[in-house]
Amino acid sequence: MSGTQPAVNVRGVSRVYEGGVAALCDVTLGFPAGRVTALLGRSGCGKTTLLNMCGAMDFPTSGEVEISGQVTSGLDDTRLTNLRRTKIGFVFQFFQLLPALTALENVELPLLLAGVRHSEAIARERLAWVDLAEKASALPWQLSGGQMQRVAIARALAHDPAVLIADEPTGNLDTISGDHVLRLIRRAADESGAAVIIATHSAEAAAIADVRVRMRDGRVESIEP
Amino acid sequence: MKLFTCLILRPLRRDRARTALTILSVALGVAVVVAIELAGEAATGSFESSITTLVGKVDYEITANGGVNETWMGTLAGLPIDARFSPVIELPVRVSDHSATLFGIDVLSAPSSQTGASPLADIGQLSTAAVLSSEFASRLSLHKGDVFRIQGRTSAGDFKVIAIALRQGTPWIAVDIAAAQRLTGLYGKLDRIEVFLGPQQSAAQAQSLIRRTLPSAWQMETPGARSDENRRMVQAFRWNLRILSYISLLVGAFLIYNTIAVSVVRRRTEIGILRAVGTSSRTVLAMFLAEAAMLGIIGSLAGALLGRLLAAAIIRMISDTVNSLFVTSRPGDIALTPVAIAGAVLVGTAVAVGSALIPAREAARVAPAEAMRREARQQEVRLHATRDLIIAAVLSLVAALLCQLPPWENRPVAGYAAALLGVVAAALLSPFFVSTLIRALRGTVKSLAGAAGLVASRSLIASLARTSIVVTALATAISMMVSVGIMVGSFRQTVEVWLDNQLRADLYIRGQGQPTAGVFPPLAPQVPALLRELPEVRDLDVLHSIVFRYHGQQATLAAASTTVASHEQALRFLDGPAAPILASLKNRDRAVVSEPFANRHHVHTGDVLQLPLGERTIALTVAGIYYDYSSDRGFVIADSSIMLKYVPDLPVTTIAIYLRKGADATSVRRRMEDKLRDFSVLIIPHELLRSQAIEVFDRTFAITWALEAVAILVAMLGAANSLLALVLDRRREIGLVRYLGAHTSQIYRMILTEAALIGLAASVLGLALGLALSLVLVFVINKQSFGWTIQFHPPLGLLGAAIALVWVVTVAAGLYPARYAAKLVPAEAVHEE
Repeated sequence: MSGTQPAVNVRGVSRVYEGGVAALCDVTLGFPAGRVTALLGRSGCGKTTLLNMCGAMDFPTSGEVEISGQVTSGLDDTRLTNLRRTKIGFVFQFFQLLPALTALENVELPLLLAGVRHSEAIARERLAWVDLAEKASALPWQLSGGQMQRVAIARALAHDPAVLIADEPTGNLDTISGDHVLRLIRRAADESGAAVIIATHSAEAAAIADVRVRMRDGRVESIEP
Repeated sequence: MKLFTCLILRPLRRDRARTALTILSVALGVAVVVAIELAGEAATGSFESSITTLVGKVDYEITANGGVNETWMGTLAGLPIDARFSPVIELPVRVSDHSATLFGIDVLSAPSSQTGASPLADIGQLSTAAVLSSEFASRLSLHKGDVFRIQGRTSAGDFKVIAIALRQGTPWIAVDIAAAQRLTGLYGKLDRIEVFLGPQQSAAQAQSLIRRTLPSAWQMETPGARSDENRRMVQAFRWNLRILSYISLLVGAFLIYNTIAVSVVRRRTEIGILRAVGTSSRTVLAMFLAEAAMLGIIGSLAGALLGRLLAAAIIRMISDTVNSLFVTSRPGDIALTPVAIAGAVLVGTAVAVGSALIPAREAARVAPAEAMRREARQQEVRLHATRDLIIAAVLSLVAALLCQLPPWENRPVAGYAAALLGVVAAALLSPFFVSTLIRALRGTVKSLAGAAGLVASRSLIASLARTSIVVTALATAISMMVSVGIMVGSFRQTVEVWLDNQLRADLYIRGQGQPTAGVFPPLAPQVPALLRELPEVRDLDVLHSIVFRYHGQQATLAAASTTVASHEQALRFLDGPAAPILASLKNRDRAVVSEPFANRHHVHTGDVLQLPLGERTIALTVAGIYYDYSSDRGFVIADSSIMLKYVPDLPVTTIAIYLRKGADATSVRRRMEDKLRDFSVLIIPHELLRSQAIEVFDRTFAITWALEAVAILVAMLGAANSLLALVLDRRREIGLVRYLGAHTSQIYRMILTEAALIGLAASVLGLALGLALSLVLVFVINKQSFGWTIQFHPPLGLLGAAIALVWVVTVAAGLYPARYAAKLVPAEAVHEE
C-alpha cells in the first residue's frame, strides 16, 4: 500500500480566525501516503490549525484542502463525517480516551460509529497490534500514559485510515513510552500505507519522519526531505 | 464577595439555561406549597355565618343535640345576671331555584344598642318582613319593597324585602323567628340561643350560672369555638394536601443537590487553585452554600408569586370539596401576606441550603494537589454502595415499624415519617440499582443503538452519583404518582362497590339545597305518607337524621327502618352478616355505627354509647360496625322504632324508594314530582345518585392529580437540567466522538438514549417505591386520617399509561441537551483545555 502519491493536498491555504488572527498564511503542502511528515515549530505557529485542516475538522478561509481526492470545503456535514469515519485517524497529546469505555471499547468505537461488522474482532486485532491484548477490559485510568497512547493509536488505526494525524503524540509521555509510541506510528506508515502527519516539538519524533516541515507564524519556513 | 462573583455568579450566568431550569424547579416546588396553603386557608376561611356580625357581638352560643327547647328561654331570662338571650333558627330554604340559609331571629331579645343601626332592626315589626344579604338580593335581582316567595320545609310564604345587608358574600335571608317556625313547621324548637352579656356582667360568673342551669350535655361555647371545630374537621384533609404539596419541594431539593454537586465537580480545579493560594475550606463551603441560598431565594420569591396565581386557580376545587364533604363555608380572600412570602422564602431557601450541604462539604474537603491534577476532573462525589445499602435496609425496617404506630393527635404522623424514610431509603438504594440495571441492559442497548448506546450506558455509569440523583428525583415524583394513583384507584373501586351495595333502591328523595355537614335539608314530615299512596311503591326506607356532637366532634345520628335495610341488604358489616345484626336493633336500645365513627372514637361492637339528646342522655349498645365512605365523621344509626321514641321530631332527610317489580321508574318519578310539587324535594334515580357520588369523588381528587402533575413537571425539568449538565461536562468527550466519525444524528441518539435509560431506571425504581408507599397510604395514612378501610385495587392500566407517558416526556426532555451536544464544534470542544 505504500507509495508517494499525496493522500492530503493543501493548496494555498489561509485561515483567519474571528478577530483577525491569522493562523495560517498561504500554505501549500502535500502529504504522501506511506510517509511520515513532521510539522515542527514553536507553539502558536499554526501546526494544530494545519492538522485540523488535514483532519477535516477545520476549514480554510481561502485555498483548499483535498483528502483522498475530496475537497473538504465543499462537503456537507454527512459527507465530512463519512470522510473522517473512513479516511482519517486522530492521535492526541492527552490521549483523549473516553474514560467510561474500556480499552477495547475505545478502539471499537469508531468502527461502531461507522457501522462496521465484526467490530469487536477488528478492535481486538488492533489492540494486539499495539501489544495491549491483555488490557482489553481495562478502563483508561487503569492504564499508564504510554499504554493509553497506544490504545489511542489502535483506535486511530481501527478503520484502516488513509491519513493518521498525531498532535504531539509523545508530549505527555516519558522517553521509553514515547519511543514505543513513535515506533508504532512509524509502523503504521510502513505497514498500512497511511499518510502520517505529526505535529511535534520533540527531536525524537522528528527523527522518525521522512519529511520535516518547519513552520513559523502560520507559514512554511522550510521543508527537509 | 469578589470570590463569589468569580467562582459562582459567572458560571451561573454562563450556564443560563441550567440556572433558569434550577430556579424554575425551586419556584414550582415552592409555588405548589404556597398555593395549597393560601387556597386551603381561603377555602376554609370563614365558617361563621356573616349574619352574626350584624346582630352584634355574641358572647356565647347555647346548642344541644336535636335542638334547644324554646321553654328554656324563660328559665334563662330568669337568671340573676345582666344578659340577654336571643333565640335563633337556622335552616336551608329555596327561593325560586336558589338555595339560601334562612335565619329566624328575635330582634327584640338582642341588645338594642347593637341592632339599632342594623338592617335587621325592623324585622320584628312585620311578620312577613325579610332582610336579604346583598349577594342573594343581587343573585335574584330583588330590591327593597319587592315581594318574593320562600319555600320552607313544610310550607311556603310570601315575604317583603325591607332591607338589604350590604357587603354580604353568602346567600341568606333573615326573618322574624315566628315566621321561620311557620316555614319549618317546627314550633318550640330552636337551633341555638345566643347570649349577650351586659357591659358590667362578669363572663365567668354568667357562664358558671348558665352552665349549672342547663342540662349537662348541652354545649355553651364562644362563637369562635364552632369555627375552630370546623377547622379541626377539615384539618386531616388539609394536612394530606399539604403533605402532598411538599412532594414537589422534595423533588426540587434533589435537583438543588444535583446542581450544587455539578458545580462542585466542574469547579474542582478552581477550588484546588483557591485552596492552594490560601482560601480556607470554610470559605469554600460558604460559597457553595451561598450559591444554593441564592438559587433558593430567587426561586422562592418567584414561587411565592406563582403560588398566589395557582391558589386562585385551585381555590374552587378545594372549596367545593370542603363544602361537599365537610362543612359549608364560603371562600375567603386569598391573602399573600408579607409573612406568607417570608415563610415561602424561608422554606425554599432552607430546603435549597439543606440539600446543598453534602456537595458543599465535599467541595470544602477538596485537597489542592488532587484537584489540580487533570484526571481529578473526572472524579465524582464518592459513593459508598455497601454502607448505603445497609442504611437503606435499616431505614426500610424502621419505616415498617413506624407503620404499626397509632396516630398522634388524630394525625398519621408516623405514617408520613415512614413514607419519608421510604423515599430516603430509595435514594440510598438508587446508585446500586441504577448501575446494576444499566450494566444488565448494556448489551441490549448497544445492539439497539450501536455506538451511541455503548457510550450512553457507559457514561451514565461513569457519572453514577449524578445519574442516580436525577433518577431518584424522577423516581420520587413517579412513586408519588403511583402511590397516590393506587390509593385513589383503590378508593374509587372500593367506593363503587360500596355504592352498588348501598344504593339498592330505585329512587331517592332528599330536600333541595346544599347538605350541611353531610346532612341534607329536612323533608316535610308528610312526604313518606304521600309516597306510600302510590301503588308502585313496594317499600320505603325513611332516614331521619341530625348532626350531633359526640365527645366534642360532629357526627350524624340517624334513625332508619332496619327491617328494610336488612331486607334490601343495604349495609355490609365488618363483624359479619348484616341480617342478624340489623334484626337485633328492633325495639332495643342498640345501634350500628359506621367504620369512621368507630375508628375516630375507638368504639367496638358491644360498647355502650352515651348519647346526649335534648335534655336527656340515652345509652345505645353498639350492635355492629358497618362500612361507610360517605362521611369521615361517621354515623350512628338506630332503628326508627327506638330512636323516634327518644327524639320524636327527628327530621326526615332522605327516603329510599323500592318499587314493585315491573314498575317504570321514570313514570313513577314523574308522578311523584307532581304529588310533591309543594315540597322542596329532589327525586333522584339510582343511576344519577351513583354517578353524582362518583363525580364528587373525582372532584375531590382532582387537586391531587394536579399536584402530582407539578411534581412530575419539576422532575422533568430536573431531568433536562441534569442531562444538560452531563453534556456540558462531557463537551470534550462529545467533541472526541465527533472526531471519531459520529454523525450529529448519532450524538442525538446518544443523549436521548441516556434520557431513555434515566427514564427507565426512574420508572422501575419509582414503581417499586410507589407500590410500597401505596401500602402506607392505603393502610396507614388513610385509615388513620379518615378511618375507612380501602380495598387494594391498583389501577394497572392507568398506571402503565402514566408511566409510559412520563418515560416519553423524559426522553423528550433530552431533546434540548441533545441539540446542544450536536451543535458543539468538535475542534473547539477537544482543544478548549
